[in-house]
Amino acid sequence: MSPLTWIFIFPLLAAVGIVLIPRNYRFVIRCVALAATAISMLLSISMFASFMPGVPGFQFEQQRAWAGDLGISYHVGVDGLNIGLILMGATVAFAAVCVSSSIKTREKEFYILLLTMAGGILGAFASLDLFCFYFLHELALVPTFIMIGVWGKGERKNYATYQITLYLSLGALLALLGLIAVYLQLPAGHRTFDIPQIIEFYRTHRMAESAQRIIFPMLLFGFGILVSLWPFHTWAPLGYGSAPTGTAMIHAGVLKKFGLYGLIRLALPIMPDEAQRWAVTIMALSLGNIIYCGFVAMRQRNLNMLIGNSSVAHMGFAFLGIASLSLVGITGAAVVMVAHGFLAALTFALSGYLHEQTGTLEIDRMGGLLRRLPFIGAVTIMAMMAGCGLPGFAGFPGEVLSLFGSWGRSQVMTGVAVWGALVIGGVYMTRAIRNILHGEKEWPNILDATSLWRRLPFGLLLAGLLLFGCFPRLLTDGIKVSVEPIVGMAAGELHAVKGGHR
Amino acid sequence: MNDLFHEPLPNLILFLPLLAAVVITLFTQKNGHLSAVISVVAILGAFGAAIFLFCSRLESLSPRDFAAHWLTVDSKTLGESLRITFGFLLDRLSLLMMLIVTGVGSMIHIYSVGYMRGDRSFGRFFACLSFFTFSMLGIVFSDNFLQMFIFWELVGVSSYLLIGFWYERGAAADAAKKAFLTNRIGDFGFLIGIIFVWSMAGTLNFIDLRNHLTSNPVLLGGSATAIGLLIFCGAVGKSAQFPLHVWLPDAMEGPTPVSALIHAATMVAAGVYMLSRVFFLFNETSLTVIAWTGGFTAIMAALIAVQQDDIKRILAYSTLSQLGYMVMAVGLHEPPAGMFHLATHAFFKALLFLGAGSVIHALHHEQNIWKMGRLKDKMSITFWTFLIGTLALSGFPFLSGFYSKDSILAAAYRSNLPLFYLGVVVAFCTTFYMFRLIFVVFLGKSKSEASDHAHESPFIMTGPLLVLAVLALVGGVIGIEEFVIPKYHSIQFVKTWSERTMEPFSVASTYFGIGAFVVGLALSFALYAKAASDPLPRALPSLMSAMRNRFYFDELYAWLIAMTHEALAEVASLVDRWVISGMVVRGAHGATEFMGRALRLLQTGNLQTYSFLFAAGIALALYLMLLR
Repeated sequence: MSPLTWIFIFPLLAAVGIVLIPRNYRFVIRCVALAATAISMLLSISMFASFMPGVPGFQFEQQRAWAGDLGISYHVGVDGLNIGLILMGATVAFAAVCVSSSIKTREKEFYILLLTMAGGILGAFASLDLFCFYFLHELALVPTFIMIGVWGKGERKNYATYQITLYLSLGALLALLGLIAVYLQLPAGHRTFDIPQIIEFYRTHRMAESAQRIIFPMLLFGFGILVSLWPFHTWAPLGYGSAPTGTAMIHAGVLKKFGLYGLIRLALPIMPDEAQRWAVTIMALSLGNIIYCGFVAMRQRNLNMLIGNSSVAHMGFAFLGIASLSLVGITGAAVVMVAHGFLAALTFALSGYLHEQTGTLEIDRMGGLLRRLPFIGAVTIMAMMAGCGLPGFAGFPGEVLSLFGSWGRSQVMTGVAVWGALVIGGVYMTRAIRNILHGEKEWPNILDATSLWRRLPFGLLLAGLLLFGCFPRLLTDGIKVSVEPIVGMAAGELHAVKGGHR
Repeated sequence: MNDLFHEPLPNLILFLPLLAAVVITLFTQKNGHLSAVISVVAILGAFGAAIFLFCSRLESLSPRDFAAHWLTVDSKTLGESLRITFGFLLDRLSLLMMLIVTGVGSMIHIYSVGYMRGDRSFGRFFACLSFFTFSMLGIVFSDNFLQMFIFWELVGVSSYLLIGFWYERGAAADAAKKAFLTNRIGDFGFLIGIIFVWSMAGTLNFIDLRNHLTSNPVLLGGSATAIGLLIFCGAVGKSAQFPLHVWLPDAMEGPTPVSALIHAATMVAAGVYMLSRVFFLFNETSLTVIAWTGGFTAIMAALIAVQQDDIKRILAYSTLSQLGYMVMAVGLHEPPAGMFHLATHAFFKALLFLGAGSVIHALHHEQNIWKMGRLKDKMSITFWTFLIGTLALSGFPFLSGFYSKDSILAAAYRSNLPLFYLGVVVAFCTTFYMFRLIFVVFLGKSKSEASDHAHESPFIMTGPLLVLAVLALVGGVIGIEEFVIPKYHSIQFVKTWSERTMEPFSVASTYFGIGAFVVGLALSFALYAKAASDPLPRALPSLMSAMRNRFYFDELYAWLIAMTHEALAEVASLVDRWVISGMVVRGAHGATEFMGRALRLLQTGNLQTYSFLFAAGIALALYLMLLR
């Protein structure tokens, strides 16, 4: 069996296992959750270590026929595009379980749902079958809503649950319709849910332009809503602000990347004409994320709302890279996906810790925390700096590659994006540091994370950011090999479009 | 291009300080003294290795580049290629700069052990200092634009951490933020410039770029000016040139050794270093802009310095003004003169800041010069070294600053007379405000109780002062400029000591400089030798008040930011809350309601909404399937 199967099946099995454990065995429940995610993380690390980045095609592949008549099979595999996501996702899942010790009510249900989220989304990233890909994502998505509703915080919890459910269901529905349409576009003899086969088919047979014209926007906006593409972003800050820490970490860090992954993996290569036509629009919308949401983040007085808006802003760089339709830009987008996963999980873990200690998330009521929290404070400064694109953290190579890539498409828009990356990001991040950590306010009753155990999740996420920030080739060498055929399919068609329309 | 580890020495020089920073942060931070020892040993080791590397390189000074691939995204079939290396470029510029950073840095590290003793976060201070040294050396060694940008950002953040070192003080925390953001505005242009260069030339490696431009001078085409100015933006931010100069004076909120190392001797000079490094990229138009920006900054800052009362702020404006000189030199086609002044300025300005630190230390953190006085006798080493620094800065003949400033003035005299006269006025102002400082602080009457009871600082602080004083004395005649010149002009010449010493006296411009010194000193003596308070504000109230208030730039920028960013942020936030979130989501809500009463009847919780939509989706999908 491929290690991929184990990586996502362990959390799911643990979720099932916890169902069988009586609810007052709290310690056992937590241990099972920790063990399952730890194993899955270690497996993903060893898989990442033995992954050969220069080799085209999928590795650790496994395929079993399932519902053969419909063309559905169990098919998993990784290439450069998803290996980083799986490593990141498994690490975030473990860290999320680690920091969930603060959950004191209905722990059993909490861990069942958290593990379902983690296993589901890891499975979705591993899947090379359209059905499993979508189904496993849905499996991960549903618990999000329940968890915000039940364990959420803040007075706008119900509104947040309502909004995130409405938005994400719409997005998922739209994406589903798009995916079904892609399936139906295949001629009867070739109908399959196998993603590599679908792509291979469209490499040789171009999809009809009339079909592309309908399907591409469906996938773009369906997936886009899931990634909080501007102006469909308002669910994100509010939802994350109200979500319990572990849920916010997995959703913002891992689940949200599903849409981007789907766009790059599927939408771009099979619908090149529309991808080209929409590129400038996507770029403009990405500026909505980067600039507009950056401005909104500047005005936030609540730490979680600030982090949530900044997380939405970061998604802009992924869209910017995608819109470039260039190797450099899409490689950048793929790096941003991994980097932001670590970063979002880290910042939500930190804000969860601060909330736990200070009892507030209102920035005005914080201040002077660095003195009492040297470890958490230092990690927060690093996370904030990583959030405004400081080199040394993984976000930098990703954002810079996106910007290099998008320059060829629009110099002005790239320039505006640079302003968003360096200046606007810098403004709200340094402001947050100033108002939360600096200053002279006294906090007599708060505790720093001193034990190794409490520091572990923060250390792991930070290590991920630093590792890929200092050695981006660990990611890009693999990504570039996988992105090259995708860009090739889009660019190869470019000539046909130009020639055809003139 | 050779392998990164082809030579171990540059690696050692660069990574020793990083190692120290990491070890201190992770393990020894609580033990302040051990941390200090680690940090000092690391920079002394780096300095030793730098001297060794320098000597071993002296025979063959042609540029050498060795590197590892840091990030490569390329494809032959798609015709895209972005290759970014992590490498070392060793040439005359980087070797000189490496010696300055590690040498002056060593002195300041040692001094800090005395100055920061007893601080609660002694260990953290040295971790940041070592991290800064690493980042700065990274800029120095960079062999390509993006690597330089990476370390550019890293020095920015280490400067941020050190300005905000005493973060409990609101002023320090605000100053750190301001410095970081102002630099980011400069970096905005810099990064766009870098992307622009890559898109035009296809490479970011300095040597390759230079070769491409030599073989094809019109490579950048009509974008040459734009690229030049965008790259210059980076220097404007880092070297605090007008209009981004506002952060540097505020940065004085950091500990004084930090002001000496980062905000006087090394980091702020990085802009000048970068301009010298990519001098081949600039065309006439951009050089003119560079020269005038430098000249304007020099005069503006010198005027402001005349009316400051905080000893560190006077030195900060003086730094701005001298950086203006250096930038002007680059703009006047004379990067060697700029680098020369950078080197001597590093010596005497580090000396002046450390001397000021010694005074502040003795007076228990009093920084107002009008509460000092008569410190000459109580702190004689500090006084005499400070005087040497002042004389060197003012361009007193035979001291280091005299030669480097003369070199810049001579360049202006040859090519741009208006800038030359401006430079002379700046020289006059420099002497005037520096001797104002000397008269008020060290001579004259004691003006406060603290200055009555001042004591000389311990040897660990005065020792570095003495070493730097020697450098400030002789720095002008050890041949720094000759060392750099062959990088830009194909002339090779060796001068004797006496030739070097007497050379300036054969040019007319020198006598203007000496005249400016004499007039400045005389005027300063007349006004301040016996003054107990500043006589100038009474004589010229409105002008002096404008100078005292830094020509209101800070207020203007605060207003500009409020008008643009804050206003836009407010609008965006309102739109987000009321239009997108409010109307659209409520609209969708309404539409959902309109579309399905049934849903409303069924809806007891939020999950049902979802399951309904999911079911609807499947139904629709089935419908589509059946339809076909």
